[in-house]
Amino acid sequence: MKARSLFARRLSDYLIKILSALAALIAIFALGWILSVVVSRGVSAFNLDFFTKLPTPPGISGGGLANAILGTLLITALASLIGIPIGMLAGVYLAEFGLDRPFASMIRFAANVVMGMPSIIIGVFVYTLVVKPARHFSGYAGAIALAIIMLPLIARTSEDMLRLVPNSLRESALALGAPRWKVTLGVVFRSAKTGLITGALLALARISGETAPLLFTALNSSYWMRSPKEPTANLTVTIFNYAMSPYPDWKAKAWGASLLIMIAVLALSIFSRWIFREKKIRKG
Amino acid sequence: MSDNLTRPLSMEREQKRLLQDVQSLEVKISVKNLCFFYDDHQALFDNTLDIFQNRVTAIIGPSGCGKSTHIRAYNRIYEMYRGYRATGEVWLDQENILSPSQDLIQLRKKVGMIFQKPTPFPISVFENVAYGLRLHFKMSRGELAAKVEDALKRAALWEEVKDKLDQSGLAFSGGQQQRLCIARAISVEPEVLLMDEPTSAIDPLATSKIEELIESLKQKYTIVIVTHNMQQAARISDFTAFFYEGHIVEFGATRQVFTNPAKKQTEDYITGRFG
Repeated sequence: MKARSLFARRLSDYLIKILSALAALIAIFALGWILSVVVSRGVSAFNLDFFTKLPTPPGISGGGLANAILGTLLITALASLIGIPIGMLAGVYLAEFGLDRPFASMIRFAANVVMGMPSIIIGVFVYTLVVKPARHFSGYAGAIALAIIMLPLIARTSEDMLRLVPNSLRESALALGAPRWKVTLGVVFRSAKTGLITGALLALARISGETAPLLFTALNSSYWMRSPKEPTANLTVTIFNYAMSPYPDWKAKAWGASLLIMIAVLALSIFSRWIFREKKIRKG
Repeated sequence: MSDNLTRPLSMEREQKRLLQDVQSLEVKISVKNLCFFYDDHQALFDNTLDIFQNRVTAIIGPSGCGKSTHIRAYNRIYEMYRGYRATGEVWLDQENILSPSQDLIQLRKKVGMIFQKPTPFPISVFENVAYGLRLHFKMSRGELAAKVEDALKRAALWEEVKDKLDQSGLAFSGGQQQRLCIARAISVEPEVLLMDEPTSAIDPLATSKIEELIESLKQKYTIVIVTHNMQQAARISDFTAFFYEGHIVEFGATRQVFTNPAKKQTEDYITGRFG
């Protein structure tokens, strides 16, 4: 038997290293490019009016996207209000009660399917279910569509986080004579707290950039929203409309809105990572 | 030296004392034909034994012999898992606790449990001990604080934590965490304490503290302890049951089981020939 050449081994090791580093660089380069363009173009759109004024008709400069900012905040908040509790309870069912029962496996499978579903399909689904019967677009419909996107994400991450809680903790609470629901809410939830919060924040980050489901549900509006029963202005659909328009002023606003969403998503992601790390440090 | 000389005599006396002792002792838990199944796998076979009140009963045997499974039937904690079931009878006082009508919350208030790994809840020391108290009693803030203090004192932990009651229970050493769990368990005034290898995850110094604690706790509670450590069983228990492959091979006064076992299997295990 002949020993393999040391040179060949070193060479292939070196080549693989270079190739993988190159691949990583391309991915980061794309991200960096997008970030730098959005920041440089977006920042110039930021001024007090951008955050406080209503949009102006095409051709008239000035104005802002205050109604869309407010609308996005409201729709996201409503979606969280629906999606987070239901998603977490579904996670509790999967992790604490369903386990390997057939019904739980079915739910888990369904959740995975919905997670992989293009969000535009969820938009159309809510359109037929909510918008058509009501005969008009509404902020509520938008919130429902976003909540549906959140649901499986939160259910699955909550399940994973709750499963990380060792059974010995559940047992010792049960052994003290605590009923199962108190064990779950008082001890297991507290133990998985940071994981649950992180999951919710990441789901929030995920939906704050969604456009397609809102296009079919909340639509958009150039006015202040009087009630979520009406079509509701929001940033992503505004970006969609403005970016495609021929007016430079609108285009600039689309860049500004993009930057705003990017900052929000980035902040949510960093915040959730920070919470998660805090916990790790504290645990030693 | 003198110990060796007087040994036969004292042993005889000891035996006699124990015999009288057993007759005068009250049975707290009476297990009859307990069988246990993990789905289709049978783990316990016709376990029958008596646990005496205010005594420490040790359960020994090689890994996987069913020691933990056995005591986990006493508070039906196994019911957390699907497909686990027990047959036979476990009488606690006048009640068969395996009967479906047994209220589990009442049962677990009466039968406390300490686990192998210390399991403080991720809340403060105070709240850890108060957790059980709040579950079972309605009391004023002051009463609660007094009860928490009392439980921590009886668990020999008060001096170490009295200025740190607000700190997370997770911030303490393994031995302290385990005593915190003992405080939490005894705070609700159980009658029986089940201990599932309570010292196997902590260091020798902390172990000796917990052993002392067990000695003092038996004045008030009936204690059943599962242990891997035979010296520990010999040191702290009054009675010993030797388990092998789901069967109770031998049960008797600890002194007798360790010095003069009736079964060859017990002797082999105790002398370290297997297990």
